[in-house]
Amino acid sequence: MLQVRNLTKIYGDGTVALKNVSFEVPDGEFLVIIGLSGSGKSTLLRCINRLIDPTEGEIIWNGVDLCALKGEELRKVRRKIGMVFQNFNLVKRSSVFANVMSGRLGYAGTLASMFGKFDQSDLEMGRGVVERLGISDQMHKRADELSGGQQQRVGIARALMQEPEMILADEPVASLDPVLAHSILKTLEKLNQEDKITVLCSLHYLDLVQRYATSVIGLRLGEIVYQGSKTDIRKMTDEQFKDVYGAEAERIGASIEGGS
Amino acid sequence: MQARKTVQKEQKNSLVPPLIAAIASCVVPGLGQMLAIAVHRGIIILISLVSSIGLLIWRIYEAGKRYSDWKTIIQKAYYLNPFLYVITALIIIGYILNIVDAYQQAKPQRSKATGMIFVILLVFFFQGWEIGGIDMGSLFADADEAVPALTRVMWPWDKAISHPEEYRTTYVEVQSPCTEEPYPSGEVKEDEPYLIADPTCGDPSVVEKSLGTEFHLIGRNFIPGNTIEIWWKDPINNEFHHRVGGDYLIIKPDENGSFDVSVIMPYRTIPPVAGEGPKTWQIQARQLVSVGGAQASQELKLAVEKMIETIFIGMMATFFGIILAIPVSFIAARNLMSHSPLTLAIYYIVRTILNIIRAIEPLIWAIIAVIVVGLGPFAGILALTLHSLAALAKMYSEAIESIDPGPIEAVQATGANWFQVISYAVIPQIIPPFVSFTIYRWDINIRMSTVIGFVGGGGIGFLLAQWIRILDYKAAGIAVWFIAITVAVLDFASAEIRERFV
Ligand SMILES: Nc1ncnc2c1ncn2[C@@H]1O[C@H](COP(=O)(O)OP(=O)(O)O)[C@@H](O)[C@H]1O
Ligand SMILES: [Mg+2]
Repeated sequence: MLQVRNLTKIYGDGTVALKNVSFEVPDGEFLVIIGLSGSGKSTLLRCINRLIDPTEGEIIWNGVDLCALKGEELRKVRRKIGMVFQNFNLVKRSSVFANVMSGRLGYAGTLASMFGKFDQSDLEMGRGVVERLGISDQMHKRADELSGGQQQRVGIARALMQEPEMILADEPVASLDPVLAHSILKTLEKLNQEDKITVLCSLHYLDLVQRYATSVIGLRLGEIVYQGSKTDIRKMTDEQFKDVYGAEAERIGASIEGGS
Repeated sequence: MQARKTVQKEQKNSLVPPLIAAIASCVVPGLGQMLAIAVHRGIIILISLVSSIGLLIWRIYEAGKRYSDWKTIIQKAYYLNPFLYVITALIIIGYILNIVDAYQQAKPQRSKATGMIFVILLVFFFQGWEIGGIDMGSLFADADEAVPALTRVMWPWDKAISHPEEYRTTYVEVQSPCTEEPYPSGEVKEDEPYLIADPTCGDPSVVEKSLGTEFHLIGRNFIPGNTIEIWWKDPINNEFHHRVGGDYLIIKPDENGSFDVSVIMPYRTIPPVAGEGPKTWQIQARQLVSVGGAQASQELKLAVEKMIETIFIGMMATFFGIILAIPVSFIAARNLMSHSPLTLAIYYIVRTILNIIRAIEPLIWAIIAVIVVGLGPFAGILALTLHSLAALAKMYSEAIESIDPGPIEAVQATGANWFQVISYAVIPQIIPPFVSFTIYRWDINIRMSTVIGFVGGGGIGFLLAQWIRILDYKAAGIAVWFIAITVAVLDFASAEIRERFV
C-alpha cells in the first residue's frame, strides 16, 4: 500500500508543481495519472522514488515514510521501485545488456560492479529478463541501435532487474507510435497481473487509460482534480476527460486496440 | 519575413533631395548616403575610401621616402612603383561612384547596385597586391634555381646511405743516395696492387740548385676509377703529399687498374743529425677503397633519432595535457559550476584563462619555454603541454556539458550509489568524446612538435632548420620525408582508432 499525504513540491524558482496532493494506491493496482503537460505528473512520480525531494508531505510505502529516508536506506528502498521513462534514459553507447544489468547495481558490490563484474546468478537473471522481454537478439548491440519500442523494452528490463514491488512509468509510451504503445503497455499490464507489481503510470490518451488503468487520478496545475476507479473510468466521458485535459484531449484511435 | 524587412527599409525616405546628397558625398564620401538614410552604406563608403587613401599616402611615402620635398616624393614613388597609378585611378573611380551612389540612394526609387562595393573591393585587392609585394614574375624567374634544391629535397635517399671508405696504401722503396749495389725494385704481385719504381735509387731535389731524380712509377691491380694520391715517406717517417707545380697529383687508374706516372723526388728535409749514407724512402700510392657494405648515413641516423624524439615530445605533451585537463575540465563545465555564484565565477575565470592560453600559438609558447628552460625537447614539451591543456580542457568540459542527465537519473533510480552512477551513467557518456578529442590532440601535437624545433623546442624541426640553414637540401629532404611519413601514418592510425571508439 502506497499512501501519499499532503504532498507539496515547490521548485527552487518558486514553481509550485504539486499542491497538497493526497491519494492511496493499494498493492497490485495499475494506477494511471493523467494531466496536461506541466500539471506535475513527472514531479509526483519522481517524489515517490525521491529523485526529487518533496517540499512537504508524507509518502508512506509499506509503513515507511519515504520522505524521511537518507543514504543507504533510501537506496535500499529505491531498489524495490523500478522506473521507466518517456525517453528511455538508456546509456546510448553502452550495450543493451550493460543497460539491463545496471538495474542490478543496487544489489551488487560497488567495486566489482564498477568494473562490470556481477554475480553469476545476477547474470543468469539478466539473461532471463532479456529473454522474457524478447530482446535477446539485441543483447550485444549498442542501446542506440535499437528501435524506440525495443529501447523501452530495455528500460523495462532494467527496472525488472531490480525485482521491483512497484514500477513508476513516466509517460512510457509518449515517444512511441500507437502500435508500440499498446505493446509496451501490455507488457506492463502483464507484469502488473502476473508478477503482482504495482504500476503507477502517466498517460495521455483516453482510450489507453480506459484500456489499462485499474484506477485513475487526474492532475491539473499540481492539484488532484479527478479520482476514479476502474468502473468510473469506463464510464468516463470525453467531457470529463477534457475537464482534466482541456481542449488538448484526444483519443489514440480505437482501430489499434488489437495491435500487439 | 525577409520581404517585410525590405519593405520597411524602403519606406524610410531620404532626408535630402538627390542632388544635395550627391554634393554632400562630394565633400565627405558617404555623407550623402547617410543623409539618404542608408547609414551603413555611408559608413562603409567613408571608412573604406578614407582608409584606402590613407594606405595610398603611406605607400607613396614608403616608395619615395629618401627624398625630402613632397613633390619629388610623389614623382619618384609613381616612377618607382607604377602600380600606384592603378590604385589611384581606382580610388578616383570609387570617389566618383560614391557621388553617383549618393544620388541614387536619395532618389525615391532606390536602385541597389551601383558597383560601388565592387570598386572598393578592387581598390583593396590591388592595395593588398602591392603591399604584399606579390611578384608573379619571380615565381617563375627563380624557378630554375629552385629546381636542383627541390629535387634534392624530393629525392634525398642517396644521402641516406653511406659507404664507409678508407685509404689503402701501396708502396715501393727507393734508395737515396745510390750506391754501388743496385737496389731491388718492387715485386710483381698476382692479386694485390703493387708499385714498381724505375730507377730504384736517386737523389732528392735541392733548393735552388737541382731537381731530384725522376722516378717512373708503374702501378698495377688498383681499383679502376678510384683516384690515387702519391705520397712520399722519408727515412725518418715524414710524410708528404706529392705536388706538381703546387697542386696535388691525382691519378686515375685505367679500367684494368693500371697507371704509369713520373714523379720527381722532392726536397730533402732530413736534418743532418740523421747522418749521411744510403737511406730508404717510400713512394706510396694511396687509394680510397670502400670497406664493408652500405650503411645508414649519419644524417639518416640523426633523422630517425630526432623523429623518435619528436613523436615522444608530442606524446608526453599529450599525456601531461590529459592529466592536467581532466580535473580542469570539471571546473570549466558550466553544468557542474552553475549552482552558486562563487562556482560560476570560478567557471568564468578558468574559461577565460583557457581561452587566452589557447589563443596564443604553440610556437610562441615554445619561444617562451626556450627562454625559461633552454633549448631542447623539454621546452617543446612544455609549450605543447600548455596548449594541449587549454584545448583539451575546453573540449572535455564541453563533453561534460553535453552529457545527457537522463541515464544518470535512471541509474540513480535503481538504487545505485554515487560511484556506480559515475561509472555506469557518466563515464560511458564522456569516454568516447574524450578519446576522440585526445587522439585528435595527439595528432595535432605530433604535427606541432615537428615545427616547434624551428624555434629551439627540440625534435626533428631543430635538425631540419639547421640543415636548411647550411643548405644541405638532401639531409633536409630526409627530415621532410620523415615528417611526412610520420604524419601520414598517424593520420591513418588516429582515424582508425577514432572510428573504433566513437
Ligand atoms: N527542475 C525544475 N525546476 C523548476 N520548475 C520545474 C522543474 N521541473 C519541472 N518544473 C515545473 O513544474 C511543473 C510541473 O512539471 P512536471 O512535473 O514536469 O509536469 P508533467 O510531467 O505533468 O509535464 C511545470 O510547471 C514545470 O515547468
Ligand atoms: Mg513529464
